[in-house]
Amino acid sequence: MTHSSLIGDLIDLNAALKSDRSTDSEEKKQRDRSIGQALQQQRNNPARQLRGWLDQASTGAWQRDGHHAVQLYHVLCVILVFAGLASGWGLARAVLYYTGNAPINIVNALGLLVLPQILLLLFWLLAIIPNRIPLLGSLQSALRFLNPGRLTRHLARLFPARSRQSLSLVWDTEYTTALAPATRWLFSFWSQLFAFCFNIGVLLAAFYMISFSDLAFAWSTTLNLDSTTFHHMLSALSWPWHTLFPDAVPSPELVEISRYYRLDEASFGTADSRLAVQLSQWWPFLVSAIICYGFIPRLLTLFVSWLRFRHHLAHALPRLPGSPELLARMNSPLISTSAPRPENVAEIDTGNDFGAPESGSYALKCAVIDWSGTGVNAASAAKQLQTMGISCLDFMMAGGIRSTAQDNATIVSLCNLKPEGVAVIVKSWEPPLLEFLDFIQNIRAQCNRQQPIIILLWGGRDGVSGLDRETWQLTLRQLKDPDLHIESMGSVQ
Amino acid sequence: MTTPLFAIVGHPNKGKSSIVSTLAQDESVAISPIPGTTVDNRYYPMQVDGETLYALVDTPGFQRARAALEWMQKQPGSSVDRANIVRMFVEEHHDDHRFAAECSLLTPILDGAGILYVIDGSRPFGEEYEAEMEILRWTGQPSLALINMIGDSDYSEEWNNALGQYFRIVRIFDAMTADFDRRIQLLLAFGQIREEWRESLEKAVQVLQQEQQRRRKLSARMMAETISRMVSYTCQRRLKGDGAGNAVRDSLQQAYKRELTSMEQQCRNEVEQIYNHKHLERHEAHVQLLAEDLFAEQTWVLFGLTQQQLITTGALGGAATGGIIDLAVGGASLFLGAGIGAMIGGVSAWVTTDRIADIKILGLPLGGKQLSIGPMRNINFPYVVLGRALYHHSMIEDRTHAHRAPLELKQPPAWLQTLDTDRRKQLEKIFVKLRRQETPHSDLVDALADRIQQLMERPASQTTKTPS
Repeated sequence: MTHSSLIGDLIDLNAALKSDRSTDSEEKKQRDRSIGQALQQQRNNPARQLRGWLDQASTGAWQRDGHHAVQLYHVLCVILVFAGLASGWGLARAVLYYTGNAPINIVNALGLLVLPQILLLLFWLLAIIPNRIPLLGSLQSALRFLNPGRLTRHLARLFPARSRQSLSLVWDTEYTTALAPATRWLFSFWSQLFAFCFNIGVLLAAFYMISFSDLAFAWSTTLNLDSTTFHHMLSALSWPWHTLFPDAVPSPELVEISRYYRLDEASFGTADSRLAVQLSQWWPFLVSAIICYGFIPRLLTLFVSWLRFRHHLAHALPRLPGSPELLARMNSPLISTSAPRPENVAEIDTGNDFGAPESGSYALKCAVIDWSGTGVNAASAAKQLQTMGISCLDFMMAGGIRSTAQDNATIVSLCNLKPEGVAVIVKSWEPPLLEFLDFIQNIRAQCNRQQPIIILLWGGRDGVSGLDRETWQLTLRQLKDPDLHIESMGSVQ
Repeated sequence: MTTPLFAIVGHPNKGKSSIVSTLAQDESVAISPIPGTTVDNRYYPMQVDGETLYALVDTPGFQRARAALEWMQKQPGSSVDRANIVRMFVEEHHDDHRFAAECSLLTPILDGAGILYVIDGSRPFGEEYEAEMEILRWTGQPSLALINMIGDSDYSEEWNNALGQYFRIVRIFDAMTADFDRRIQLLLAFGQIREEWRESLEKAVQVLQQEQQRRRKLSARMMAETISRMVSYTCQRRLKGDGAGNAVRDSLQQAYKRELTSMEQQCRNEVEQIYNHKHLERHEAHVQLLAEDLFAEQTWVLFGLTQQQLITTGALGGAATGGIIDLAVGGASLFLGAGIGAMIGGVSAWVTTDRIADIKILGLPLGGKQLSIGPMRNINFPYVVLGRALYHHSMIEDRTHAHRAPLELKQPPAWLQTLDTDRRKQLEKIFVKLRRQETPHSDLVDALADRIQQLMERPASQTTKTPS
């Protein structure tokens, strides 16, 4: 199932990629390429392709907790909506509280319902400026840190661990590389959601009180502010809507008659109904100010935050750890060069080790066979064999370019010679083939004697390497012949 | 058009399986000094999205070539019948265990496979090879001889003379050390043995080159990700009491180092996976922390705001308060209120942070001291990490799958120091931003990955390698 929510898909994709780390790479290649081919049309949109992959990939391997996180995200949004409405409603009711004894001070109302909004809006703008201005970084980081939207993260602690842990991916420092911009805009979205609902709450309360009671506004301040200056200030504040709603701009006369001093409260207390009607004319100005400096900007900041959050979330999908690799597997041809089936490997029976003569010298009269044309000179070979206690009865040839019939003839001659032993000189660098093992077994079978057979490894100009000797030993052990010996001619390298 | 099929044949222990392992990039191929390890034909198709562009067949080595040839020579017929005689041999002996190896290796050839005859050029030529070369000639299939240099000695000239009598094309190829370009050259040479196979092999080469680029790109991204994490990594520990003792500092430094090592090792493993080296044993010295005092002791206050942030916030609050006064006097104060307010707010925050940190609410202090380590400020650190990563990558990229010895990573070459000024500046710019953590990481990772990929494509002459 694909979540309609990006956030849910992000969480599920992250879980899938984490779980995929242990999946065999060949299996991943095949699975992802086949999904990638089905999603070829979305190749230019990595986020959409990844979401499509999530839809088609097997669900068995990982837990899809995205929907829990989405639920929590929505619950947190609803809480913020109600909190904003309640606090806006509450504050507006408090500010516009009017018993008829004293009018509502418009300065007070502006100071609490409008000016902080302008200030907070400026802070928000400061915080979102791209971080390229020197010395601004610290201020921005402080502003972001103080963003009330971050408190939602703490609010999430009240909810079940499964949902909380899933959603916490968005602010988990492990993913700062991919998700930092999205996190920033999520907190911005949450704070703007609260602020927007706060303004709705203020407006609802204002309309309720305007509709169901009579309100009288006036203005009062200790500061040395005359009516003309105050009017100028209000005109400046009303500039954005002065052409659209001219009635919502306080007139100089209204400003003039609305000033009051608490010492003169008696005069307001005894004011006639005409003055009461005049004093109530302030409400269009107040409501317009709240709409212009609170509601509309917050609607815009909410929309911008939501768009940027979604944008960065979609942008983060292809940057999650493992996503680039997944996209590469989906969009690159599936190349396979390896064998589809496992290899049958021969099990080598290593048999027994070869024994050396007890005396350290063979003391044997042997027939010597040169196998496969080693190129060893018969005289010098005989001389070297002497050092091993082997005296050469005859020097014969076998293997190589000779035919198998000639080899058999050599064996017949050998048997007729009845030597005490047989020495076979071989090239140490060439591994023993089965035809060589055939030859040794034929000697045993035809001569019908348990005489020692000594394999003499000759290494040519490079000498006998340890690896070559080991190869010969391992192979000849398969014959399980106790009278078979291996010796190296010359020094072993 | 038939799919090109190549049978790798020859004497046992001459590196047939090594060549297959290198060309197929498959480390599962059994390579052993014991002759006869390969007992059966094994196919290695090169497939692209299911389409086979060519296939290699690893075969057992000849075991009784003389006897087989003698049987064939005894059969009546002229030289035009030789291929049929070989076929008769296989048909007649396919159940004969004595000729199991010969029948196995001749079967794909008789089915149309080209012959890749492998010998070891570091060992002398011998007369025992003549029977098997003769049998291969009898099959009449197109062939190529590969001189595989297993050891240090060189008998290639001797072999060239001998092989030239049986094979039209002879190539020298070291299955253990052949880099990507050499492998590609060999594949193109395969196309020379039969014209109709050339197109398929050229396509295969093109796909492999694209795959190589893709691997580089993924590796570069992996390396960029790791370097950015390593450079910007910080580790904090809250302190009890007034300051940090040596034990706490040591333990934090160890934890910091462990994490950096783990990040680097993870990157190495991922890069090896990208190049299909799944079971590679690697020996490498851990990255050394460069001589630098990494520690910064700082005060944290008000739920984690740093002192600097707190001062800025104080100044901002002061400016806002002062601004109200400016507003009240209609700007007649020339914004002195905001200025003075900012100053008072900032100084107050600076003076009082320590005191605020000591305030406890419900027994929990609002702030306190923490010991912080990182990010690594030494300007050489990212270059060291990058140099090590590039060195490892170059070793892995050129390492064949026949090479089974552990990978020994020694001191990487110092070619990063010879980078031209522009490239060095570009890298330095990214590293500075990473340390400052100003720009979103993902953008920096992208930029760094691009630079790394460019560095990977430096000419081979500049990437001097230390032999492993």
